[in-house]
Amino acid sequence: MMANLAAVVGIGQTKYTTKRHDVSIAGLVREAAVNALEDAQLSWDDIDAVIIGKAPDMFEGVVMPEIYLADALGCNGKPMLRVHTAGSVGGSTALVAASHVQSGSFRRVLTVAYEKQSESNAMWALSTPQPFSTHLNAGAGGYFAPIIREYMRRSGAPYDAGIKVAVKDRLHGARNPLAHLQKPDITMKEVEESFMLWDPIRFLEACPSSDGACAMVIADEGLAEQAPRPPAWIRGVAMRSEPTMYAGRDEVNPQAGRDCAGDVYRQAGISDPRRDLDCAEVYVPFSWYEPMWLENLGFAPEGEGWKLTMDGATSLDEGGDIPWNPSGGVLCSNPIGASGMIRFAEAARQVRGDAGDHQVEGARLALGHAYGGGAQFFAMWVVGADKG
Amino acid sequence: MSQPDILNQAFELGFTYTRSTGPVVGRFLTELRDRNIVGIKASDGRVVVPPMEYDPDTAEALSEFVDVGEEGEVVSFAWVKEPRESHPSEQPFAWAMIKLDGADVPMVHWIRAGREADVSTGVRVRAVWAEETVGFITDINGFELVPEEMS
Repeated sequence: MMANLAAVVGIGQTKYTTKRHDVSIAGLVREAAVNALEDAQLSWDDIDAVIIGKAPDMFEGVVMPEIYLADALGCNGKPMLRVHTAGSVGGSTALVAASHVQSGSFRRVLTVAYEKQSESNAMWALSTPQPFSTHLNAGAGGYFAPIIREYMRRSGAPYDAGIKVAVKDRLHGARNPLAHLQKPDITMKEVEESFMLWDPIRFLEACPSSDGACAMVIADEGLAEQAPRPPAWIRGVAMRSEPTMYAGRDEVNPQAGRDCAGDVYRQAGISDPRRDLDCAEVYVPFSWYEPMWLENLGFAPEGEGWKLTMDGATSLDEGGDIPWNPSGGVLCSNPIGASGMIRFAEAARQVRGDAGDHQVEGARLALGHAYGGGAQFFAMWVVGADKG
Repeated sequence: MSQPDILNQAFELGFTYTRSTGPVVGRFLTELRDRNIVGIKASDGRVVVPPMEYDPDTAEALSEFVDVGEEGEVVSFAWVKEPRESHPSEQPFAWAMIKLDGADVPMVHWIRAGREADVSTGVRVRAVWAEETVGFITDINGFELVPEEMS
């Protein structure tokens, strides 16, 4: 792939929380965008195009919100594009923004993703009934729980691997002032005793519902070199899709995820992700998805992802060699449409050395990952402190 | 073999939502509840009613609220001869763009008038407040014509 170099030169997030009733949806999106512009020391006039992403319209019931958000995002006279890929949309939106710059068509692009879950009905709008079909009235947890059970059966993972992830990510989140859930004293026992939502997913093994937005400014090589703060160079970008259901589909270890990872690693010159990467921000909305994605993304052989989790390899607090979700991840903050972009932005914060108390010391190369739909859309990027 | 029926089925889909108006639209609605109409000053000095959160030209956040009059001038209108159930009036009425005194852009609302011939561009109208105001655009229960000698 021949692409021009591009880099993240500004990052802005809102504080993730249950309800932002003080702002409209436009005000929420705007806050992240302004924070990203301030981080990049830029103004609206410096932006050539705006790429926006969010989860399906039915979540908040605002049809085509990009129409209503154009003025809040300074789109007057500029191209604006909306990206749709379900829960992975925050990641794919960042990648579409990156490609606008990598193609050489635009020099500096603003990208924003958001969700205002307090105003939405994401739980039920996720799986709508249709005539002539049986209604899967289960929400995301009900959809993924049987897949997790199959992972447990195949791998023989100990029953508390998910509990361990739930604790680990909340301890990470306690280092991140923007994280929604702040649970610095969480224990394995507390997670284990929390009520069962969708067996085997307990309440504390599931992500919260959050309001929030995340934004980034992506610039071309020349502008990134002049940026006032360290750029996060985009070293690889990949997206893959597969149908939700087809005979023989491996939902535990989807082919699209494996292929997407292989593609992004090849671009970034990564042969062993656990060794070559310094940390990863991976979309883990339910605790068990950490061991599952550790395998899907090649950090561990198939059936052995849970060993990294149990050994503390993915934990900052246990001094693990490959911290996963140092920001606290989706398990701490889940404004759905933004969650993928937060992973991408947090990966960039790590290699910019700008992650505060959840900084992985000396991080030079990081993975940002998002998945969505019935674990059928994958978006990933690798960002580095160096151009490569 | 007989032709198979092609089945179809009506179906309804509905969800419950909430909405936060934010500091600008929220202020406009709160003022309506208090029987007052506010606009906001844009970067070029125009007073925009209803107020918008962000400047249409510069994208800057707007915050300078301006009280405008409850009377104004019809900029354009469309007469509705046969109102439908969802319309604000059971009698024939006019949808209109009304530039309130002190505003620089017109606002859409509706006018109570007996006959189409009574409404014209440039005619003066005045807000009719609902008996009970709740913080919604229908707190203005239409506009009425202002007799010429009074305007």
